[in-house]
Amino acid sequence: MNRVVFNVSSVTNAMRGKSLLERNGIRAYVGRSIDASGSNGCGYRITVAGDAERAERLLTSAGIRIRSRQEEQ
Amino acid sequence: MTCTGMGDPVVYLDNAATSWPKPAAVRNAVQRALTVYGANPGRSGHSMGLAASEAVYRCREELADFFHLPDPSGVVFVQNCTMALNIVLKGLLREGGRAVVSDLEHNAVMRPLHALSPDSPVYDTAAVVPGNTQATVAAFERCIVPETRVIVCTHASNVFGIRLPIREIGAMAHRYGLPFVVDAAQSAGLLPIDMQKDNVDFLCIPGHKGLYGPAGIGALLCNSSLSLPTFVEGGTGSQSLELLQPEELPDRLESGTLNTVGICGLQAGVGFVRERGMEELAGRETRLMASLYDRLANLRGVRLYTPRPDLRLGAPVLSFNLAGRRSEEVAQALDGRKIACRAGLHCAPAAHRRFGTLESGTVRLAPSAFTTAAEIDRVCRAIWCEVHAGRRCGQQG
Repeated sequence: MNRVVFNVSSVTNAMRGKSLLERNGIRAYVGRSIDASGSNGCGYRITVAGDAERAERLLTSAGIRIRSRQEEQ
Repeated sequence: MTCTGMGDPVVYLDNAATSWPKPAAVRNAVQRALTVYGANPGRSGHSMGLAASEAVYRCREELADFFHLPDPSGVVFVQNCTMALNIVLKGLLREGGRAVVSDLEHNAVMRPLHALSPDSPVYDTAAVVPGNTQATVAAFERCIVPETRVIVCTHASNVFGIRLPIREIGAMAHRYGLPFVVDAAQSAGLLPIDMQKDNVDFLCIPGHKGLYGPAGIGALLCNSSLSLPTFVEGGTGSQSLELLQPEELPDRLESGTLNTVGICGLQAGVGFVRERGMEELAGRETRLMASLYDRLANLRGVRLYTPRPDLRLGAPVLSFNLAGRRSEEVAQALDGRKIACRAGLHCAPAAHRRFGTLESGTVRLAPSAFTTAAEIDRVCRAIWCEVHAGRRCGQQG
């Protein structure tokens, strides 16, 4: 299954997103953004293995700004 | 009545200053934080760093849920309630304007306001009418002038326990388009606070009193679209290429390494309050203070300043004096009888001015979840002995 990475600005946003997704039945993991320069440095990411479209809708509707989205194999 | 012997353990009734002892769950959480969450939260990507970040976030969620703040990102960790009040008051009044305060405020509110304009006060003072919501709200409303930018008040007086009707004051503030700030130093963990229903925009809480966390941790809970200016700038572990402090909370107001140990302890403290039940805790402490009040009211030479403790009207804090003796002297004498309490002005000269105790101060007694009826009996006996000051411990009264 493909994994989708959502890069967000802060660890609080990442943790908040993870908590939100898991409450909605989507497994999520938090880690440091790999490409820090793309997020003005020092960002965090939420990795989702599941329904990425629904995950993105949940995150944005909760006001969590997604800086970028990447697909991972 | 028999005076207490010297072999007894200390009765700690200084919980309005800081609660003690701390619950076992808090001590264990502190120990666990030092052992397991040793890395810097929100900085590194290794497992221990992420575990620390998650522990910190869990406490944000816990506090947001406890105080009915919709977004946990609005929970800003600070060192104490005073710091939270400084951030919000100096932020909201940075461009000028005035505040409305009550006549029972602690210096944590009054000194930041004074510092903004030492030569010309930037606040107007509303006289609280204890137990009368309508009159109290009207007093606040009368203080509003075109320059007013914020209404701030204590939820419960740290000296006399008097409870302010924050829901109604907040509703009135919002009718005027003013933000409402609550100093919950004496009420967090004892009196219910619902930031949404109570119309609170900024809630300032200590972690180490009624929430039973360790000293050195507090929080500013933000439930407002107003963006407070930064109080301290620095590293946040986010958007590091930018020299500008991030706009988003909590990073905007949280620079530098967080107090993970305190935060984990605070979360366990909130858990303790939830487990024991806030209403149960407050009710029990109020009954203990009411029992003490009844006995002190019958002792000649004891001066009480408030009606019998009643949870609907106040927090369980009792102030008294003994005729002809200074409060500090009485507290010192009680310390000799192994009763730990606080005397003097309790950093709230405004409240003492209101009650006419500015010169004498008061002796303040404040229980906790761990205070027992037997301890209150001991306190009562010790005060009886002080009233009959010539008597030695062990003499019958």
